[in-house]
Amino acid sequence: MDRAGPRLIGRGDLLATLDRAVAKKVTIISAPAGSGKTSLLRAWADRPGQPHRLAVMQVQRDQQDAQQFWLALLTAVRQACAPTSRAEPPTATPDFNGRAMVDRVLSELADLRGLLILVIDDLHELISPDALAQLTRLLTNLPGDAHAVLATRRDLPLHLQQLRLAGELAEIRAADLRFSERETRELLDASGVALSDAGAALLHQRTEGWAAGLRLAVISLAGHPDPELFVAEFSGSDRTVAEYLIAEMLERQPDDVKDLLLRTSVLDRVNGELADLLTGSQGSERILLALEDANAFVVSLDPERTWFRYHHLFADLLRLELRRALPAEVPGLHRRAADWLIQHGHIADAIRHTQAAGDWPGAARLLADHSFSLTIDGQAQTVRALLRAFPPGAPADNPELALIRAGLNIARGRLDEAAAHLAVAELHAETTPPDRQRRLRVAIASLKLSLATRRGHLASVTEQAKFLDSPVTGQSDEDIALDNDLRAVALMNLGTVEASLALADAERHLREGAVLARENGRPYLEVRCLAQLAFASRVRPFATTRRRCQEAIALAERHGWGLEPWIAPALITLAANLVWTGELGEGERWLQRTERALQTDTGPDIRLLVHIVSGMLQTGRGRRHEALREFSAAEHLGSQLADSHALASQVTGWLLATQARVGLPGEARASLAALDDERAGSGEVGNARAVICLAEGDPAAALATVTDVLGGTAPVIGYVTLVETYLLAGLAHRELGDQRAAHQAAERALGLAEPDRLVLPFVMTGSGELLEALPRHETAHAALLADIRDVIRGSSLAAKDQSSSPPAEELSPTELRVLRYLPTNLSRPEIASELSLSVNTVNTHVRNIYAKLHARDRSSAVQRARELRLLSAGLMR
Amino acid sequence: MRVHLPALDHGVMDPASVRYAIRIHGHLGATVLSAFPALVSQHHGADTVLTGLLDRSALYGVLAEVEALGLELVEIRQLTPQRRSPESGDSRSP
Repeated sequence: MDRAGPRLIGRGDLLATLDRAVAKKVTIISAPAGSGKTSLLRAWADRPGQPHRLAVMQVQRDQQDAQQFWLALLTAVRQACAPTSRAEPPTATPDFNGRAMVDRVLSELADLRGLLILVIDDLHELISPDALAQLTRLLTNLPGDAHAVLATRRDLPLHLQQLRLAGELAEIRAADLRFSERETRELLDASGVALSDAGAALLHQRTEGWAAGLRLAVISLAGHPDPELFVAEFSGSDRTVAEYLIAEMLERQPDDVKDLLLRTSVLDRVNGELADLLTGSQGSERILLALEDANAFVVSLDPERTWFRYHHLFADLLRLELRRALPAEVPGLHRRAADWLIQHGHIADAIRHTQAAGDWPGAARLLADHSFSLTIDGQAQTVRALLRAFPPGAPADNPELALIRAGLNIARGRLDEAAAHLAVAELHAETTPPDRQRRLRVAIASLKLSLATRRGHLASVTEQAKFLDSPVTGQSDEDIALDNDLRAVALMNLGTVEASLALADAERHLREGAVLARENGRPYLEVRCLAQLAFASRVRPFATTRRRCQEAIALAERHGWGLEPWIAPALITLAANLVWTGELGEGERWLQRTERALQTDTGPDIRLLVHIVSGMLQTGRGRRHEALREFSAAEHLGSQLADSHALASQVTGWLLATQARVGLPGEARASLAALDDERAGSGEVGNARAVICLAEGDPAAALATVTDVLGGTAPVIGYVTLVETYLLAGLAHRELGDQRAAHQAAERALGLAEPDRLVLPFVMTGSGELLEALPRHETAHAALLADIRDVIRGSSLAAKDQSSSPPAEELSPTELRVLRYLPTNLSRPEIASELSLSVNTVNTHVRNIYAKLHARDRSSAVQRARELRLLSAGLMR
Repeated sequence: MRVHLPALDHGVMDPASVRYAIRIHGHLGATVLSAFPALVSQHHGADTVLTGLLDRSALYGVLAEVEALGLELVEIRQLTPQRRSPESGDSRSP
């Protein structure tokens, strides 16, 4: 931030105060507008030889979007830390998880070497209770080498008592910021103002050392023909300091400068081009640069000095003056600004200006056109704020705004309200102009799908959304891009419903959605489509399914989304896949990771899958009672969905079979009798019936049941069901004393299981003895048999494929250094002293190591690190 | 972006509105006064007193403007006693 001619005086005492303050963990500068907070921070940050590494951010005006705030903070921290990570730049998502974000910032801060000071200016602009609560957590957990300085106009509800009690909170308040008489003199001298000592004293007294007042006065005094007279008149006036001085200052500016200041005051940020547009003249950039050089409340926002903003107090007064002096011009200025902003992709700002121009229908249209994209860009909170700005009543009959409200309600789980808004949108869709009809219909269909998915009303809606299949015939490029966002979302919703119903089109729709999202530069949408695609691929050969899961997870991790709830479909599918093949340890780790990802999501649709896979895992470990609990929970969640889901018969079948196996065939029979015909006629329930018959000691009846399934009259979910059926047939033959038929059935099961190396059905059906009886030389499946035998004996198979291990996130170099000490018997304080780190820092690293390795304690972390070969020197970086 | 919204017709037929006097140090000129279109101003010595019927949110809106414009707030006073509905039994101080 080196620029010509700063007129900030040294204010050495104040800088020293701040230096002393930042030795504490947190410093709060709390003082009213114009007290010189930002100037102090700039002077302190930019002074030659500034010894600290700084991450500086300024909260955007009226920031209501917690995610935007946190992304700016994370970006500032990353810029300060130099780009060591290969991670993608932080991208907003519609499902912002504040807690995870704070963890992310904390872990980046914990990886620092050396001091870093996080500077947050204008914190009072953050109007988000969530963000303030999250910030409190960040501030109270700052790792050893990180400090923070906050500047705000008013005291904020940050709960920092803990820090205060620990003596780690410093405060600088208005009285500390006030200019002393000596500093007033220095400021005048530095600005070349010749004023008597009496005049200087009078000026100091009149402004009460208020920084903004003094700076405004100096601008007018510089080059004033009679400075003493100016001060005398100012002093004799009863008007408020700021208003008097701004009027004086404007009075002294040439007309073009005055005009520029007034007209561009409607903007939050201004550049030369935009200023030219609003003033209708040329050369605005030169004026802006000159104003900044004169320290006239104009500051540049980028190193190239193309964007500028006005001091907030100054801008507010200019805006009032504009409305008074040129009231008729104001709407036109906002409209011109909106046009420019929309052309340059600043959508939210453009909508705000359209609203400020009083053009409510225009603002509604803009918001409707862009709400999907804004939401995908993680700006749902911004969309909500924009919606609130509409006057009451106006949007009620606007179908497009109703649709936006529906979408926001779905995202927050307010499904009844969403349905009501959707009904309004549909009602008014007929009267929508033809050019907007199609977009509206696509949006309505897409939201209905999304609502249906959340409610489990599946079958009813897929048909009416079929028209999404037809490509959009585009208008302008921009329209196509908008439509592509909308279409990608619609395809995702459609594919998700189809995947839940195991419909064949699911994979095609999700793949199309992912491709469209990638082309449109929407990684969030792409990841979501891929995660659903992974789930939809569960019927594919296992190698394909695993690859798709891993692709989705890898892309999510690159964006730091590895633990977001919406990646869960891929996580759980991978876990299931591993359990099927007997890799129980790996499966369990992915299952645990799924549960961590789902901390904030309790939707029955996905929870159901977690219980199914947990039940499979327990079955694989021979813990049938635990498995029974999981299958019961899955069955219960399934019953909460309006329509039956793709795995419904699987859950029911396994639940009944497990009941029979733990010695409750009577209860299983009763449940069986209560099933509807469709469920009762499924192959999965057919298998369960056979298990019940076997448990009742009636192998002949069991055999009769499985014959139906094998004969193809009972629909099955997939071939995995048939593997079980053959095994049950084998068990029944064996009970009936027909060894030959038993061998044949077991061989058929092995043959079916071989391509995917399925192990679970053999364990589940208790086929150990059946397999042991097979003549060794006759079977072509010796390797698979060995695997099955291992799992039945209680050992989990090692992961066949290293890439399926979940090293959730890469360990940082410091974490790796700490990790190397974990196998030793050194305590944490001893490790800290070995590495010259504080115990707190080591604790943070250890916490992160556990999280990243999915370990519960030191020994499991070491075990896991060994498996991942993280302890060997070869991999050390 | 902070937008100065046009004056709402505070107070008229609004039973929750109360008359307030807000004393600010210094004489407010026409520019700053335009930020308080719902209030009437009067100079009292070196201060300006703004009066008007305000409901709660209007009052906080005024205070936000006072903060944003860097004005020095001296006093806020209710001029008419706040009416309480007999059922509410609300005895908290205002």
